[in-house]
Amino acid sequence: MKNLDIELIKFMFMLTVISLYFNVAISLYGVVAKANLVKKLIALTIFQDTVNMFTILVGYKLWRPGLLLQPPVLTDLSPTPETLREFVERSVDPLPQAFVLTAIVIGLAVTLFLTTIVVHVSYHFKTVNVDEIGRSKRVYIHEEAV
Amino acid sequence: MLRDLIFVSLLVVIILALTYLTYSGGLGDLPPQDIRFIAKNYLNLTYNQEISWLWAASPEAVTAIVWDYRGLDTLFETVVFYGAILAALTLFRSISKVPELVSSAGLSLVVKRITAIVTLAILTVAASTALHGHLTPGGGFQGGAIASVAPLLLLVVFGKQFFIDRKITYNKLLSIRNISLALLGFTSVALLVLGFLIGVESYIFQNQAKTISTLSYPTHLLDVPLGGSLFFFNLFEFLAVAGGFTLVFTILLSKDETLRRELEGEELGY
Repeated sequence: MKNLDIELIKFMFMLTVISLYFNVAISLYGVVAKANLVKKLIALTIFQDTVNMFTILVGYKLWRPGLLLQPPVLTDLSPTPETLREFVERSVDPLPQAFVLTAIVIGLAVTLFLTTIVVHVSYHFKTVNVDEIGRSKRVYIHEEAV
Repeated sequence: MLRDLIFVSLLVVIILALTYLTYSGGLGDLPPQDIRFIAKNYLNLTYNQEISWLWAASPEAVTAIVWDYRGLDTLFETVVFYGAILAALTLFRSISKVPELVSSAGLSLVVKRITAIVTLAILTVAASTALHGHLTPGGGFQGGAIASVAPLLLLVVFGKQFFIDRKITYNKLLSIRNISLALLGFTSVALLVLGFLIGVESYIFQNQAKTISTLSYPTHLLDVPLGGSLFFFNLFEFLAVAGGFTLVFTILLSKDETLRRELEGEELGY
C-alpha cells in the first residue's frame, strides 16, 4: 500500500512536469506567433510563471510514509539540536524558492518596462498589431522614397 | 498558415523529446528522495544559535538566503527593478508636472465605504507580510506588492481627487521611494561604517558577528526574534516597492489625453 502511494506521487509529479512543458510550448507559441503585442506580453508572463513553477518544483522532495513535508520555516524559536535535525529532515529545498523570488522581481521589471513600451506604441501607431505597424512603416518609407 | 503548422509541430516534437528525457531519468530522480547538501547546510545554519558565527538569526530560511547569504545579489536585483520603474516613469516624465489629472469623482457611496474597509485590511496584511518576513513566509517585496494594491483601489474607486485632496503628490511618493532606497543601501553598509568609526573589522552586508568581526545587528527585540538586518531590509524594501508601484499606477491610470500629450511634438510618431 505504501509503495503504491509513492508510485502514485511519482506519477502525479511526472504529470505536473509534463503539463509544465505543454505550458511552455503554448506560451512560446503565443510569444512568437501572435501579432498582438498585448497577447505577446500575456504569453511572456505565462512563460515566466511556468519556468518559476518548474524551478520551485525542482526543490520539492519525495514524500515518504512518516515524513511530514513542510516549508523551510522553523516554527520553534528556541530550537534544540533534535528540533533542528528534524527541521532539516522535513523541509523542502529553500534555494529554488530564493532564486524564484529574484526571478519574479526581475520578471516584473521586464513586464513593467514592456507594458510602458506597448502603451507608447499603441499611442504612436493607434494599434498594437505588429503586422499593421510594419505595414504602416513600409508605407511611410515608400512615401519618403517617392 | 503553413508557417503556423510547422511551428506547432516543432513545439510538439520538443515537448515529446523533453518528456522522453524526463521519463527516462534525464533530470535525475524526480522527485528527489532528499534535498541537496548545500540546502541542508543553509537549513541547519539559518537559526542555529550553537553555530552563531554562521547563523542569519532568521527562522525563515528563504529570507535568510535572499537578504543575508546572497544579499549583494538581492541588492543589485533591487537596483534592476528600480531601473525599470525609473525607465517607465521617465517615458512619461512631464506628467508629474501636470497638477491636475482628474475628472472622476469616484464610484458610488456603497462601493467607497466597502473599499475603505478592504483597504485597511489590505494594508494590515501587507504590513504583516513585510514585518514578519523573517518569521513566516513573505518579505519586503511581497508586502510592498500587496500594499500597492490599496492605492490602486483608492485611485479607481475614489478618483484621483481623493489623492490630491490629501496632498499625496508625485514628489512625495518619489521621496518615500528614494529615502527607502537610500536607507536600504545604508543598512547594508551600516556595520561597515560603524567598524571604521570604532576601529573594528567588518564587512559590507554583515548581519551577525563573524569569527574576526564582532559587530552584529540585534537578534531579538523584546524576546521576539528580529532577524538582525533582515527586518530592516524587509521594512525598507516594503516602503520602496509600495512607493514605486503607486507612482507607476498613478501614471498609467492618467487620462488618455494626458498620456497622449507626452507623445506630441513628433510629426510622424516613430
